[in-house]
Amino acid sequence: MKVTVKLIGPLIYEGGFSEKVLDLPGPMTAAELSAYVKIDKKRPTIITRNGRAVGAGDAIEDGDRVVISHIYSGG
Amino acid sequence: MKGWTGYILRVNLTDKTWKKESFTEEFAQKWVGGRGFAAKILFDELKPGIDPLGPENKLVVALGPIAGIPAPNTGKVVVAAKSPLTGFYGDGNLGSNVSSQLRKAGYDALIVEGKADKPTYLSIEDDKVEFLDAAEMWGKGTYFGNDWIYKKHGRNAGVLNIGQAGENKVLFAVIRSLEGRAGGRPGIGAVMGSKLLKAIVVKGTRQIPQHDPDLMRKLGIEGLKKARELDQASGWSKQSTNAVLAWCNEVNGLPVQNMRKTSHPEAHKIDGERLNDARIATYGCPSCTMHCGITIHDKEGRESELDYENIGMLGPNINVFDLKQVGSLNYLCDDYGLDTISAGAVLGFYGDAIERGATKGDFKFGDAEKGKTLLWDIATRGGEAGNLLADGALKAAKTYGKNSADYAMQVKGLEMAAYNCKSIPGQALAFGVAAIGGHHREAWIITFELKHSKRESYGPEKAAKVIELQRIRGGLFEMLVACRFPWVEVGYELENYPKFFNAVTGLDWTLDNFWTAADRAYAMIKLHYLREFPNATRRDDYPPAVWFDKANADTEGPQKGVVLEYDKYDSLLQHYYDARGYDKRGIPTLATLKNLGLEAEAAAAAKAAKLN
Repeated sequence: MKVTVKLIGPLIYEGGFSEKVLDLPGPMTAAELSAYVKIDKKRPTIITRNGRAVGAGDAIEDGDRVVISHIYSGG
Repeated sequence: MKGWTGYILRVNLTDKTWKKESFTEEFAQKWVGGRGFAAKILFDELKPGIDPLGPENKLVVALGPIAGIPAPNTGKVVVAAKSPLTGFYGDGNLGSNVSSQLRKAGYDALIVEGKADKPTYLSIEDDKVEFLDAAEMWGKGTYFGNDWIYKKHGRNAGVLNIGQAGENKVLFAVIRSLEGRAGGRPGIGAVMGSKLLKAIVVKGTRQIPQHDPDLMRKLGIEGLKKARELDQASGWSKQSTNAVLAWCNEVNGLPVQNMRKTSHPEAHKIDGERLNDARIATYGCPSCTMHCGITIHDKEGRESELDYENIGMLGPNINVFDLKQVGSLNYLCDDYGLDTISAGAVLGFYGDAIERGATKGDFKFGDAEKGKTLLWDIATRGGEAGNLLADGALKAAKTYGKNSADYAMQVKGLEMAAYNCKSIPGQALAFGVAAIGGHHREAWIITFELKHSKRESYGPEKAAKVIELQRIRGGLFEMLVACRFPWVEVGYELENYPKFFNAVTGLDWTLDNFWTAADRAYAMIKLHYLREFPNATRRDDYPPAVWFDKANADTEGPQKGVVLEYDKYDSLLQHYYDARGYDKRGIPTLATLKNLGLEAEAAAAAKAAKLN
């Protein structure tokens, strides 16, 4: 299953990449994908799938664009 | 009284006099400081209807009980006046050594009255006030002025100054400090300029009175250490506020082409990664634990300090996706003393008005070079377009006509910051009900909307969140006075702030006390509004019509076809009013005002308009 993952802000330096296509070993939830790309579980994040926010337990599907961001507060 | 110095310095530029005035502990506890002091002082001392650019307007520089004391991000000041842009109370905060120096000089606030007979700058050193010749600085930019003052008064002096925009009474001229900080978006710099006041320089030698200085020192040092650790652990400072740009682009919230569009394929050229890559230095305010000002070399090789709002508004909002060019536009705004958010909004509006046929001109979206020329024209009110745009997007729209006010991206005359909210109702509400017009400072709820609510919801949970954040961001931090970033961005606990406050004042406040004080300040500002606009309606709390216009909806992507809906927005607004205790016009009811201890202010406002 191929998904595009984009990391935002400090997560880029935590995950070691900005954006890449990943060939996942199997079905994953949003939280599992976040852990898979080595984002600290304790970090508050917001995950969007194809532009819409998803919950930690929501499934990621083939072809999705997933964006994982630190929670910002708008400066 | 401890925590406050107990004094306000009142300076009159017309007759070159000054006096030190005491205030009571009751006043201090009721209004806390900063925005609270400024809103109350200006309500009591300004007659409704005065010309904001006349000598009868007053400039207030206000501090709070922890301002200037070493603790996380306490190097901030509030500047306020009747706004020439919006026509009612306006304020802003900026980082400055004035925070500590004015307090050490013995004052919690400075009131500047009248008008000088020639370009002047004020020098305040404890009880000594001098009215000095500013001729060498007049006509020059803020960088020149700041440097000129440093050479004469030393780099530790607290400095507030204006550029050509303030001198020429551009209605979105700001006040600058520390060669990189700016505040007073609703034209507070123009108020300084109208008084022929180029700068204020402050030095103090006294101790700031504190109830328990040893405890405060301990709490402050611990707080500074903790807040720095949190920033380093989070990595926030890697991209500072500009990390938001890539996220806004992903979730369709980026201001593109005067907010016509919500994302752009070239946004990556100006995002946080590119900013971090181009970084040459990082700057912060006094006592800062998480420096947000990242500088780059601009197109002309100058050092330009950037963050998200100025990149968002001077970049995608005018279709400029070259970071060096964004840096150049930002540098010029900073030097001229123009507010970067309003400048970007005004240029975007102008480009849009030309494209839509409301006016004629040779500026096109994406033309950074013409943008640079226009910024100078605006700052100097040169030429027809420059002079008109210097009055802000709404006033320009009223001149252009042809329904151009629909896409003047402002609320109450103040241009909105870099969040495109046509499919984000809660943040649209936050702009609509921000105390001084379309400001992002007081409530930013987009991540809450997407993660903890539903994006499409217009429910009461969003109104409640806006109020919660207004109390914290527009209340607590604007009254203490301190920067919200350690709490809002890296999780430095809010409960620390009452501890600081109690250590310096000897009081026993909880956060609930601050929420009451914040509600009082918000109600006070609403009374300013009502007094200036007796026919105020709830429509004044609506964002621009274009956000409700299906023709302006995204044409692709997950928000395709989505815009705000009038009836639903109105119901969201009503949730906000109900929770606030405001009437159907969005004005605090008599019962609410009584609960907040504002009976006298209500009676004064009632002379101008009916209260319910």
